[in-house]
Amino acid sequence: MTEETPFRHESIWHMIAAPTVWTLHFAIIYAITAVECSKIGTPDLARLSILGLTVLALALICWIAWRAWVQWDYLDDQDYVHDKPTVEARREFLGHAGFLLSIASAIGVIFVAMPALFIETCL
Amino acid sequence: MSETNTLRDSARHGDGGKVFDAGPEGTYPPTEEMLDAPVDPEVKARREAELRKAWETPKGWRYWSAVNNTEVGVWYSLTAFFFMLCAGVLALLMRIQLAVPDNDFLSADRFNQFFTMHGSAMMFLFAVPMFEAVSILILPAFLGARDMPFPRLSAYGYWSFLIGGIFVLGSILFNVAPSSGWFMYPPLATEQEGIGPDIWLLGLSFIEVASIAAAVELIVGTIKCRPPGMRINLMPLYAWYVLVVGVMILFAFPPLIAGDFLFELQRSMDWPFFDPDRGGDPLLWQHLFWIFGHPEVYIVFLPSIAIAAMIVPTAAQRPMVGYSWIVLSAVGVGFLSFGLWVHHMFTTGLPSLSLGFFSAASEAVVIPTGVQIFAFVATLMVGRVTMSQPMLWIAGALAIFTAGGLTGVMVAIAPFDWQVHDTYFVVAHLHYTLFGGMVFPIIGGIYYFYPFITKKKMSDRLSKWAFWLTFSGFNICFLPMHLTGLQGMPRRVFTYPESAGWDVLNMVSTLGSFILAAGILVFAWDLLRPKSKQPLTERNPWNAGTLEWSHDVPEEAWGVRSVPYIASRYPLWEQPKFLERFDDGKFYIADAPEGRRETIVTSAVDAVPQAVVQVTGPAWVTLWAAAFTGGAFILPVFKFYWLSAFSGACAVACVIYWLWTSTAQVPKDPMRDAGLGLRLPVYVTGPKAPGWWAVFITMLGDATAFASLVFGVFFFWTARPDFPPEGAALPDMMWALSAMLAYVVAWGATVAARELNRGGRQGVARWCIVGAVLATCAALGGMWLAIVMPGLQPETHAFPAVMYALTVWTSAHCVLAIVMLLYCLAGSVLGKLTQLYDADLRNTTLFWHFMCLSGVITTLLVGVAPRLM
Repeated sequence: MTEETPFRHESIWHMIAAPTVWTLHFAIIYAITAVECSKIGTPDLARLSILGLTVLALALICWIAWRAWVQWDYLDDQDYVHDKPTVEARREFLGHAGFLLSIASAIGVIFVAMPALFIETCL
Repeated sequence: MSETNTLRDSARHGDGGKVFDAGPEGTYPPTEEMLDAPVDPEVKARREAELRKAWETPKGWRYWSAVNNTEVGVWYSLTAFFFMLCAGVLALLMRIQLAVPDNDFLSADRFNQFFTMHGSAMMFLFAVPMFEAVSILILPAFLGARDMPFPRLSAYGYWSFLIGGIFVLGSILFNVAPSSGWFMYPPLATEQEGIGPDIWLLGLSFIEVASIAAAVELIVGTIKCRPPGMRINLMPLYAWYVLVVGVMILFAFPPLIAGDFLFELQRSMDWPFFDPDRGGDPLLWQHLFWIFGHPEVYIVFLPSIAIAAMIVPTAAQRPMVGYSWIVLSAVGVGFLSFGLWVHHMFTTGLPSLSLGFFSAASEAVVIPTGVQIFAFVATLMVGRVTMSQPMLWIAGALAIFTAGGLTGVMVAIAPFDWQVHDTYFVVAHLHYTLFGGMVFPIIGGIYYFYPFITKKKMSDRLSKWAFWLTFSGFNICFLPMHLTGLQGMPRRVFTYPESAGWDVLNMVSTLGSFILAAGILVFAWDLLRPKSKQPLTERNPWNAGTLEWSHDVPEEAWGVRSVPYIASRYPLWEQPKFLERFDDGKFYIADAPEGRRETIVTSAVDAVPQAVVQVTGPAWVTLWAAAFTGGAFILPVFKFYWLSAFSGACAVACVIYWLWTSTAQVPKDPMRDAGLGLRLPVYVTGPKAPGWWAVFITMLGDATAFASLVFGVFFFWTARPDFPPEGAALPDMMWALSAMLAYVVAWGATVAARELNRGGRQGVARWCIVGAVLATCAALGGMWLAIVMPGLQPETHAFPAVMYALTVWTSAHCVLAIVMLLYCLAGSVLGKLTQLYDADLRNTTLFWHFMCLSGVITTLLVGVAPRLM
């Protein structure tokens, strides 16, 4: 109880890190596509950048998910309810929620990037 | 619960706010022995009398000066319900018109006015305000708080809503209502004669401002006014949804306000933002509208499903299965819903790659949305369900919403949407989602919370009638519309020829709509019928586990008898001896020794007590402020610009009077005995103070509106080849950069003033404030010289127009900044703002962080960016 706890254990910001990555990924690929289609006319560069950004976003989300998983610490006591009035329950809850949000965000990133696999023109 | 220690230790686990002044002293968390200590009956009676007096509701005509959440919440929800009934009547009239082919019951123009007002009123005057109303009414009870953190702000929001709502809806009686659809697409709406679009733009902007005020209050209430011990993992799910929706409002409404700002500038000053002949683009409006409009759908859906999240555990008589999953669901939907807006614009000719992104995101949002439905079903499956009146409505909601969700998956696919775009298929889809996602859960919630709100019960028999009429009427009305749409009937046509073959389906829909209306009327009668002869309800009629059912029967205005210490998600089920301790006033602030209205402020994540702060009481000034604000928004419709400016100035004066006389008062005694061996400060400043959070959250919303204007600049740049046009005059770079420097100087002076004041050198601090005011004036001058000197003409082209719009926007903020700085100066000179009690100055500095950022961005966009484009 008395030792200093890392900020992430009590931080909602860490919990929403993964969906924030999704948001940035979404906004950037939308902007790149809009600019390239209006200024150049073919989306080849945009599609390449989308590939790169998607790999980057997924890597970031995986890292966030791993940190959240460690914070959730499920294998330690196999708690997934977190309804105790303790520092531990709060830490594990924020980790658990962050982990689940990472999964949803990863799916979101993959979904949003998929059109760039199939659509080759700006039309 | 053996984690008792002194507060200094556990405060370290708080939200990291810097500790400047006297912090809490004593023991926290309380021990079992402390909680069991008996209370002398005489002391108990005296404390109850004190509380009763402090929280007394004003009587007679003064009743309307009340600001307590229980009064304002009831007015708010009844007003929203009334507006809903009005919009429903418009729908019935439209259904009569459409019942048979070639009907002439309504003229085309009137029909246009009706569908525009039906959509606008249902969205802006019913769905969003209803969320705010219900939350204001019940959120404090979920959180064991006495009231919302800023009761006068709720009252101000309510009166603004009432004035704006009557103004907008009343226009239909004078045949001048807006008639170009609830989304007001230009060029139809910019070119429309008459005052209809102005009524829509100004009246609804006014209501949006009130909505943002309510969102700020709800977010701060959830973050800072939870009871001691209610860590973030113990928060009721309703509070999670409120938090998510509040933040969504903050990011969704400002783009529309920015859009309204541009739109109204075009209508009244002829600045051509949406006019393609002069470099504008009507699609910009569609983007800004739907960046608001799609999250809006989830803004009305989430709080209603939040009500379901409270009813389901009660019906199943067990805790919710998958608390973390529901948090995932709420937060995930909150994020993903911002990536969907273009699915309203699939037919506007955007690159198909862009359409693909939005189509994919629209499919992805189904995942978090579905997760919570599964969590509800799982809870019902593992619990022992008793089919109560509210649960019937929730079950209906889940069925209807799922059907709406399925057609949603269909229309999210762009090629399918091209086929059914603007047909009745979309009408059917959106009504299924909104009835299932909003109307049914809300009605279920009213049945559920009615005993809490009025201490009486609604009728079982009438509830069943209302439900089955509404449910069957709804399906008879809207299910055939899927077919009508697939057969090609377009939306928003006032009639159709017999040869089209849509007559049978339309007749069925019309019959269904009247059955639906009958159901709603039965509900309305049950809601409003006099119940004075009916006995009072028992205290916890549904045997629920959450805090609101610790309410007092008969009613007491104090909100909660004592602010509890919470150690569980369902305290009434899981914390032994809870109610007894609660009623005896064994928890915190069970008294009101100075006769003030107070509530406890706790840290954001772990809910460690930080302070006991005063909340504001009844006042007329909120009503005056709302009336003058209304004047400022409504008078420009009739081109009374000077009168409107005067009204705006009066509104500002009212707000300053209200802040000066009732917020951040220097306390007589800096500490207060909160009970259970804990002494808490009564004045907090910086990130511990609710006021600081309110400024921070408001400025996030404000920054979003500003970001939307910036988006506009870049949108024009990508969408138009002539932005800026060849050889056009560009704003002066030197003046713009000088203005930028002045912003930075003003910001530095403000920060210096805060630090010097904190360090005890008030004299120098005051001079810094004076310096900041002068620098702001210089920045203001520099910005205007930068666009006026090179001779930019905003009427000629969208490029100079958007430069002017940015300057006008930032100038208005400069004026506000000057007022805030002068307010602090006056406070410092007159002793309201001292070395220790510096909340006003800290809030002003926080405002200045945002002000400086937007000043720098504006000057760069005006002075530098056009040269690079």
